[in-house]
Amino acid sequence: MTRGGLTGRTGVTRALFWAALVAVWWVAVPLLPTGLVPGPAEVAVFMWDELRGDTLAPFTVYESFALSFERLFTGLAIAFAVGVPVGLLMGLVKPAEHFLHDFTVVGLAMPSLVWALVTGMWFGLGDLAPVTTVALAAVAFVVINVAEGVRNVPRELLDMAAAYGVLRGRVIRHVVFPSLMPFFFAALRYGLANAWKGLVLAEVWASTSGAGWVIKYWYDAHRAQGIVGYALFFVIVAVFIERAIFGRLSARVFRWRPEIGRPVPETAAAESVVPKSPVPETSAERSG
Amino acid sequence: MSDSRLARAGWRIAGYAFFLGLWQLASGTVLDDVLLPPPAAIAGEIAGIAASGELPLHFFTTVSTIAVGFAIAYVLGAAIGLLMGRSRWWEAFLGDGVMAALTTPGLVFALVTAMIFGLGNLGPVVAVIVTSFSYVTVNVVEGVRAAPSDLVHMSRAFGRTRTQLLRHVYLPFLAPYLFTAARYGFSVAWKIATLSEVIVGTAGIGFMMRRSFQEFNMTGFLAWVLIFFAFALFLERVVLQRWMRRTLAWRPEVAA
Amino acid sequence: MNDVAKIRVDGLRKEFGEVRALDDVSFEVSGQEFVSIVGPSGCGKSTLLNVLSGVEPATAGTIRITEGERRARLGYVFQSARLLPWRTVRDNLLFVQETRDAAVRERCERYLDMVGLAHTAEQFPGQLSGGMQQRVGIARAFSIEPDLLLMDEPFSHLDAITGRGLRRELHELWTRTRKTVLFVTHDVSEAVELSTRILMFAKGGRLVSDQRVDLPFPRDGSSDEVALARADLLRRFESLDLLAT
Repeated sequence: MTRGGLTGRTGVTRALFWAALVAVWWVAVPLLPTGLVPGPAEVAVFMWDELRGDTLAPFTVYESFALSFERLFTGLAIAFAVGVPVGLLMGLVKPAEHFLHDFTVVGLAMPSLVWALVTGMWFGLGDLAPVTTVALAAVAFVVINVAEGVRNVPRELLDMAAAYGVLRGRVIRHVVFPSLMPFFFAALRYGLANAWKGLVLAEVWASTSGAGWVIKYWYDAHRAQGIVGYALFFVIVAVFIERAIFGRLSARVFRWRPEIGRPVPETAAAESVVPKSPVPETSAERSG
Repeated sequence: MSDSRLARAGWRIAGYAFFLGLWQLASGTVLDDVLLPPPAAIAGEIAGIAASGELPLHFFTTVSTIAVGFAIAYVLGAAIGLLMGRSRWWEAFLGDGVMAALTTPGLVFALVTAMIFGLGNLGPVVAVIVTSFSYVTVNVVEGVRAAPSDLVHMSRAFGRTRTQLLRHVYLPFLAPYLFTAARYGFSVAWKIATLSEVIVGTAGIGFMMRRSFQEFNMTGFLAWVLIFFAFALFLERVVLQRWMRRTLAWRPEVAA
Repeated sequence: MNDVAKIRVDGLRKEFGEVRALDDVSFEVSGQEFVSIVGPSGCGKSTLLNVLSGVEPATAGTIRITEGERRARLGYVFQSARLLPWRTVRDNLLFVQETRDAAVRERCERYLDMVGLAHTAEQFPGQLSGGMQQRVGIARAFSIEPDLLLMDEPFSHLDAITGRGLRRELHELWTRTRKTVLFVTHDVSEAVELSTRILMFAKGGRLVSDQRVDLPFPRDGSSDEVALARADLLRRFESLDLLAT
């Protein structure tokens, strides 16, 4: 996708998109068969009020998102604490791979709606169901990526280290760990995306607070500008996480990659030692 | 290496046995058997649903929602993807919109369509379209970029027409991406369809999930989920996968 | 300079399942030799280096690589550079050192300078060309001050001109340091240009010929002696290749 700020030629085009969107919205709303859909002005007013902390809901937008993030990070921490050892086991031990493979596939494909409703029935309203949903929705992504990463530690670099008699600890730190980094990143990125969507659902049906619950609150109150306004808050938060956090972090961690640093002069080495790309959302059956 | 294949199958079966055993053991001890009914109870419930004649109605409702919604989403998504892949301007223009559609939680689309269209089937269909088209788009954009420029140049040098170029160069290279787009898009489509039905459905798998949830009927809930989950996973992993392998036999790295 | 290794290989065999990669190989190398190992592909050349360096265990036979009383230190240059892409050039050299004191650091800089890459110390391998990466690999091998240098077709992935430049550089480094070198190649001209001795392997991993190359350095590829030696070797090489297939 296009990157960078709203400057330069693509910046103008991108700004044009948002302008066109608002214009279409403005024109289309009065034509719709229902009076429940808000126009852009109503939504803008709603969002401004929310940002000033002036809201009709029991929580401000800041409180809601802060609470949701707290649940998200707790759940993700649990998913990594469980998923990393299991992924290491699956990557290193063949029987463990066969033993667990089908369950990770099911875990990847399971709709987070199911986790949200099941944990809702199990734990009732509160923090426990959302946090558990996050952990369950993310753990399969962590497992599959860590396992794939372990299988893809470049053999020729390990042989090189062995030929030079480099000590085990140094090999783990300088060869194994850096080659796992892209897979950790993928685990975090895809796990987080799936967990976030699951969290919102769990908050709707199994809690009385958080960003997901508030959006349902506006739905029940028939205040459509609340839903659309919150939807835009979601988009803003997602873009912020993607650009500001993941973008910066990966530019830092992967600064050795030629496409991020300076361009490669002349020809690159014939036999690449860069690990192959991590596993995205639904391609878990490769190893099956 | 037949014995290693045997060992592999053995470990796999052991996995299922272990999981089912754990479930059986946990039911009634770790969690109350109302909260975690044993596997046998769920199997019984599935048999009961099949015998009651309820299944075809709800199944048909959900499947037709997915079929209609996803067909539209696929055509729309592919068209936008082609546009964005071929033109820098369209890529810049639509990039943010696709990105936003991709990252917005499905719940938001489900609620907005519920609000506009109320109870019934139209809301879920529209929700499927707006949620899954972006997954098709990003894959098609990737595919257009993957088409090798040297072959495009070669075709131009030999004076091939636009249609020939599209049919013999772009399409073969696009094919795996079109399949990936279908798989990603479908996996999103069936999830959003059930979610949308949970909110506004008057029939369908999602509707039955909501009813079981409200009645606090875990056995019924899990039975409905399992029936549909198995069906969707079968379509996604077996049917689409087979079809892809057959079509892409010329690309060993994809077919393998 | 007396830091020369002595290799004694006796009855060495290596099998991968049913496939025999090395078949009863015996030879000795004494100090200051530049030994090329030539043969058709699949004759076990690379396997020999892997077994000598201990990356692969031998199936049978004995290997002794000693420097005086202690075990010899080995440097290894691979077909591809095999640099850690996430470490700078300098850190790649430091990675294989036993210690990191000031003397070692200074030594790494010195060898980087010898291959003409002192200015790239802060760069990542991905920012260098293939030829430069291979030079870093060579500097890395020399920087541990090895008693024996193993080289596995180090120039075969490079274009002809880069390869020729690096061969000249390697020869200069060798003349200066007089390390014992085992150099695997499938290129007979390369072997004639660089070595003091050539071991020839046939398919199935048999050592079939062992001969000295008593021509003065630097060797000019266009001179008659060098051309004759090369032609002679090529004739044998081709007959071997035909016999095996």
